[in-house]
Amino acid sequence: MALIELDHITKTYDLGLSKVHALRDINFNISKGEFVAIVGQSGSGKSTLMNILGCLDVPTTGAYRLGGRDVSTLADDELADVRNLEIGFVFQSFQLLPRASALENVELPLIYRGVGPKERRAKAKAALDRVQLGDRMHHKPTELSGGQRQRVAIARALVTDPSLLLADEPTGNLDSATGEDIIRLFLALHAAGNTIVLVTHEPKLAARCPRAVRVVDGLVVADGEGKQVAFENQRDIDAAAAAALAAQQQTAVGRAQSA
Amino acid sequence: MADATLPSPTETSFAPKRIGFWRGIFRIFRELREAISQALTSLVAHRLRAALTITGISIGVGTVIAIYSAVAGLDSSFAKQLSSLGPNTLYVSKWSWGSNRENWWKLRNRPAIFRGDYKALQAGMTLSEAISPIVGTQATVGIGEHELQNIDIRGTNDAFLESGGYQVKRGRFLTTMDEDIGTDACVIGADLEDAFFKGADALGGRLKVGPMARCTVVGTLVRKGNAFGQSQDKLVIMPLSSFGQAFGAKRSMTIAVVAPIGKVRETEEEIVQVMRTYRRLLPDQEDNFTVNRQDKILQSFNQTTLALKIVAGLIGIITLLVGGIGIMNILLVSVKERTREIGVRRALGARRSTILLQFLCEAVAVSCVGGMLGTVLGISVAWFLAQVTPMSAAVSPKVLLLGVGFSIGTGLLFGIWPAASAAALQPIEALRHE
Repeated sequence: MALIELDHITKTYDLGLSKVHALRDINFNISKGEFVAIVGQSGSGKSTLMNILGCLDVPTTGAYRLGGRDVSTLADDELADVRNLEIGFVFQSFQLLPRASALENVELPLIYRGVGPKERRAKAKAALDRVQLGDRMHHKPTELSGGQRQRVAIARALVTDPSLLLADEPTGNLDSATGEDIIRLFLALHAAGNTIVLVTHEPKLAARCPRAVRVVDGLVVADGEGKQVAFENQRDIDAAAAAALAAQQQTAVGRAQSA
Repeated sequence: MADATLPSPTETSFAPKRIGFWRGIFRIFRELREAISQALTSLVAHRLRAALTITGISIGVGTVIAIYSAVAGLDSSFAKQLSSLGPNTLYVSKWSWGSNRENWWKLRNRPAIFRGDYKALQAGMTLSEAISPIVGTQATVGIGEHELQNIDIRGTNDAFLESGGYQVKRGRFLTTMDEDIGTDACVIGADLEDAFFKGADALGGRLKVGPMARCTVVGTLVRKGNAFGQSQDKLVIMPLSSFGQAFGAKRSMTIAVVAPIGKVRETEEEIVQVMRTYRRLLPDQEDNFTVNRQDKILQSFNQTTLALKIVAGLIGIITLLVGGIGIMNILLVSVKERTREIGVRRALGARRSTILLQFLCEAVAVSCVGGMLGTVLGISVAWFLAQVTPMSAAVSPKVLLLGVGFSIGTGLLFGIWPAASAAALQPIEALRHE
């Protein structure tokens, strides 16, 4: 059984006059300990996919099993608990609480699962040590550099010991040298056994990941080794996308007829 | 579908993580603590904004507390003054206490109460402890050249001591013999004793009372203090018969009847019976006299203070409403400013209730600080009023509770909508907010 199982996931936004198919038919699995990049241009549906993977949103149809539990039908509060217990988020713009210290920021998700203050502090310190910020834990975000802020955010994601680390363009707001540091940190975390999904539009970043999944128009058009998928040329991508769309529509028609 | 369910030999099956029972219970307290500390941080971070709203709330709470303290002070001092009249004494009179303009004419045409009524009551009453007829006027009293004007003169009998709640300080009170013979004995109040004798022995002193009468002081009274702004110690008490000779016997009197403790109502009924019989009133005729009780004064007083309380309450509610709108306003701004933060918190596992709690705490923090300042303000105002006006103010713990309760209630009431709108935000919408 894989850690993540996506089974015919679709997401349709009903805008009244028209329907937008953000995700048409997504099927893939991620095993425990994998480091997967999800690549795609803006509008490809990768953000929607990330939201569903992160249990911030639920699919219109299809099943999403996370750690063996189908989370695509859970209620709002149950989803909140799943996010807290299973997922660690790393955002492009860090999203730290500005008036709280690094330590308090890292403690926050533990509060939401009822961990007491002593244990919380110890765990947060350990998480900050893991990202080499043990000496900066009483600093406010404004007193930290961009790279340090992202490290605090990663510590906040790690502190709950999540099943899945979900990073959304984690280097997008950083210069290339600091971005490289963050990538190395992710690679080290992967080597230590963490499961990581990294969402990006940058082929260079996706190429660093062992596995990459390319999303075009709400469909998976390539799934393979990071370098290969990342540097596909545009003609191949277009061709694969056209083929995938045709195949999807055929099965959709087939399913509609058999139904 | 097929390959998705293929078992992978390298991986065991997963058990979904759970928060656990005790942590699920403790979570609410930990979240509450975090919410309170966040609320205080936010209060300090937006000092000016918070200060303006806090001012609004504190004025509201302060108004409520000040007015309620003043009314409570009025209440208690009134009750104290009233009880100095003697709680068990009924006053039979031509006039009705607290009567209004409409029935003035009706009351004016009633027959006066005379000696005959008093005699009838004395003969017919079985329940009364003491009955004293009282007539009164104001006159100039003096010793030689030393004269005082507008002194209360009472003509009565020995029972007056009991019905009026006075106590003899020195000498004796009037006796039945004084009344029967019509002696020149008189008893004087503490104010007159001080004014005429200044520490010297008053007993045996000769007073000039009114234009013609001369009296000998046989007793002095213990100081009783003011009632309703008037001294009760500036008086001369003389036998009813002597009073009649000095000031004329055709005055309508008031008859004070002391009821046994706990039998005020029965005594009142008996008085009415005796009076109606004596005055030969037919069953369909109205009483042409009134039995006045002090709780009748209390009733009309309570009506007045009730109106005051209602006005105070309305003013308080209006100011709190204004303050509450202030709270709603800063909370809406706060929710707007922190939309992305809400999204992040939701992503990290905060439930809707967590967000609701956070913003409610912020609202209550503002209103609570306002409530505390308002309480201090209100007590200060009440204290100040008590200093510069004859009003007294009583600050009761009940009022403090009211102030704190009101402020917390305002915070909750006006915070619930912004907080609920924050809690209702979709995580992804909130995260995407610029």
